[in-house]
Amino acid sequence: MKTLIKSLLMATAAFAVISAPALAQNTREYSPVTDEMLANPPAEDWLSFRGAYNNQGYSKLDLINKDTVDDLELAWAWPMAEAGIQETAPLIHDGILFLQTNNNIVEALDAKTGDRIWTYIHELPELPASWSYQLNQARRQKASIALYQDKVVLTTVDAKIVVLNALDGKVVWEKQVLDYNKGYSYTVGPIVVDNKIISAISGCSIAGTAGGCYILAHDFETGEELWRFNTINDPDNPEQQASWGEVPPENRWGGTPWTIGSYDPETRTTFWGIGMPGPYSELIRGSGDGSVLYTNSTIALDIDTGKLKWYYQHLPRDNWDLDSPFERILVDQEVDGEVKKMLVTVAGKNGIAFGLDRETGKYLWHKETVHQNVVTGIDPDGTVHINEDLVAKAVGEEHLVCASVSGGKLWQAGSYSPLTQAYYVPLTEACNTVAPTQTEFTAGNAVGAMKFGPRVLPEGVTEAGLVQAIAVTPTSGKTKWDYRSRPTPTSSVLATAGGLVFGGDAARDVKAWDQETGEVVWSQRLNAPIGGYPATYAVDGEQYLVVPTGYSNSASSISSAFPEIPLPTGSGNSIFVFKLPSK
Amino acid sequence: MRQFLSAVFLLVACALPALAQNSSIPPEEFNNTSRLSGDSINVCFDRTSLGLAFDQDVARAIGDALFLRVEAIEGFGGFPLNGDALLDEVTLAMTNTCDVFMGVSVSPNSPVSDAFAITRPYATFPFVLAVADPDWQRLGDIPKSRKLGTAMASMGEMNYITWAQQQPENERWVRLPYADFDLMTTRVLDGSIAGMILWQPALARILASRPDAKVLRVIDSAPVPSSETRVGALVSSRNSFLRAQIDEAIDAIVRDGTIAGLIEKHGYSGRAGE
Repeated sequence: MKTLIKSLLMATAAFAVISAPALAQNTREYSPVTDEMLANPPAEDWLSFRGAYNNQGYSKLDLINKDTVDDLELAWAWPMAEAGIQETAPLIHDGILFLQTNNNIVEALDAKTGDRIWTYIHELPELPASWSYQLNQARRQKASIALYQDKVVLTTVDAKIVVLNALDGKVVWEKQVLDYNKGYSYTVGPIVVDNKIISAISGCSIAGTAGGCYILAHDFETGEELWRFNTINDPDNPEQQASWGEVPPENRWGGTPWTIGSYDPETRTTFWGIGMPGPYSELIRGSGDGSVLYTNSTIALDIDTGKLKWYYQHLPRDNWDLDSPFERILVDQEVDGEVKKMLVTVAGKNGIAFGLDRETGKYLWHKETVHQNVVTGIDPDGTVHINEDLVAKAVGEEHLVCASVSGGKLWQAGSYSPLTQAYYVPLTEACNTVAPTQTEFTAGNAVGAMKFGPRVLPEGVTEAGLVQAIAVTPTSGKTKWDYRSRPTPTSSVLATAGGLVFGGDAARDVKAWDQETGEVVWSQRLNAPIGGYPATYAVDGEQYLVVPTGYSNSASSISSAFPEIPLPTGSGNSIFVFKLPSK
Repeated sequence: MRQFLSAVFLLVACALPALAQNSSIPPEEFNNTSRLSGDSINVCFDRTSLGLAFDQDVARAIGDALFLRVEAIEGFGGFPLNGDALLDEVTLAMTNTCDVFMGVSVSPNSPVSDAFAITRPYATFPFVLAVADPDWQRLGDIPKSRKLGTAMASMGEMNYITWAQQQPENERWVRLPYADFDLMTTRVLDGSIAGMILWQPALARILASRPDAKVLRVIDSAPVPSSETRVGALVSSRNSFLRAQIDEAIDAIVRDGTIAGLIEKHGYSGRAGE
């Protein structure tokens, strides 16, 4: 069946690529997307995964606001070209909406009418018929595209960078970055800065990828590799090497940076979050009580050299698959005439929010959000202490760990509003049991070293969903408001100059919250759990809101916590675009 | 017999999971149809299985015993060390394609869901300690200052960890996990590690493919207790008839010496059945 689907896809791909120019016959003008625009985007565009290099997820548009949001009506909708788990981030520039879906399909749509302009279907190799993990990854492609100059830059499940013409979808060049036969695979897209495509590879927990997990820079024009940084083997830092105990690089796994990084043009620094170590349990990985750097850290890299400027580890000595790769948001606040340059993040699945000085990596503050029991305290200097009672000392020793392996926090990104100086974060209350357990499937083979129980609510908690507003200052993060609900949030959130935060949940409801109070001021039920990254843009003076929906692992993995809310049978992967009535 | 089996397959071959967004697999991925098996069974294999050739031979022997044609299908592979998504793909393969999945570990920690049942084991193979140094006759002869390699996430590794955790720290060997057994072999040969604990069929494959590995010897793992893995097949829990038939076929080919012959053919050291 898969082979058949693949064959059909290939045939369709050939057709789509050939037919694209005919479909693109138009007189559209497309202005090059520059570094300056990516740093400070025009209000009408949504140019990158979180809107701008700072990853704030904030739009300057304000036509849709607390007074008008109730008038929103459907402008158009579009079904995605591929099933699978839905984590897309639509990008918009000059009236074109670029939509990437699973299996690395990219479509360009007229942002005003929803009419298709072109479709690019990436031709995946035949090999995945027996490489099921890659097929699995292909069904969960996240925000895989970036806009730069007059191009769309796509990262693919078979570890390629593909550069497309923005106006017609034609391939300009493509490059095999790493060997997918070893297990390397892109699941998130790149950022492009100063003619450098900066990308981060996934698949770093597969046998063949031992010892190397990378953030890489390639020349935007030629695809030439400029540098790579290995997140689990840094020969320049003895402390990093020592943190793995006696485990040499060739026996290390993990450290996947699976959320798109942010960038500070002033210091030419890019910031990325790094995932968990592999194997999950130190009992199995052999690293003793080492902190296993740079897993679960924020790393700051010089974009010209790829060299490390600083790191901060949010969860040392992870034993529970509680990765910390999520969005790193750059925030500037003026205090007593001095601009404080911060990095704010709910870095990991345990849901702890951090404020860091982004010039030095110095810890500023932290704040807990959901129930968690893995971190017992954080010293004033930022040293994180873990709960050693939850570290298994024997194979099969089971502990109830909060948050769960699916969060707490997960890929759904929070947003920061300069209006309120608050960080809005979608979260889930959940725990699960964890035990290091050798679990062969095919005899003698390495396929599992950890057993996770089902996600359950923490004791005394009846509402899985939490959207928390965190008031951010250079010295503290404090709760501004909490919005709790039975269903879990399943999308990223979007903050706007209209004073609103948009996001949605497993109950198929897209909502708008008042940024100041947390009051729900608008809600619309759609066809499937709300997913991906809602965005907003303007065409011809009218503001639009685009909301992805579809198949959601975040909904399915904790649906037992809200059995009264049935999840749909079909995937329904779609985008819905709303606008205010035309005057 | 053949016609009867075919009819039963028609009735029971469909073992679909619930079609709603309550699993990690989008429902569109599942075939909502019954397979028309006729007089054949679809037998799947993990392409990374360490005993792949042996399992293929056993599948043919089971097919012969049941008068069924075996359609061999290369299954999946390439999974992460933590098993992420493996069971998704097992569920998909067993629903859409496979009547039987060969080479499955028969153990209390089997990760497969209740939707699938494991047959009785058709063979049992030990984990072994292989070294290059001719002076060592047992693990206890290896100085504690040397390191050992273990096959990542294997029963042999679990066995070693469990033993080591019961010893004072200075009485243990430092252990490094390997997912690439070729690399582990290279490290034994270059002296980076003193020895390696791996499944005997894995060692047999290395010995057959690497001339430089001929110097490797299996020595006694004492003081660490020995361990072994039993090998069976996976079938749908709903297809209890097929499972019973395959169990009976396994019994027959264990009893008549077929399995023992295959063990010898592949250079394995182990035993037929349990």
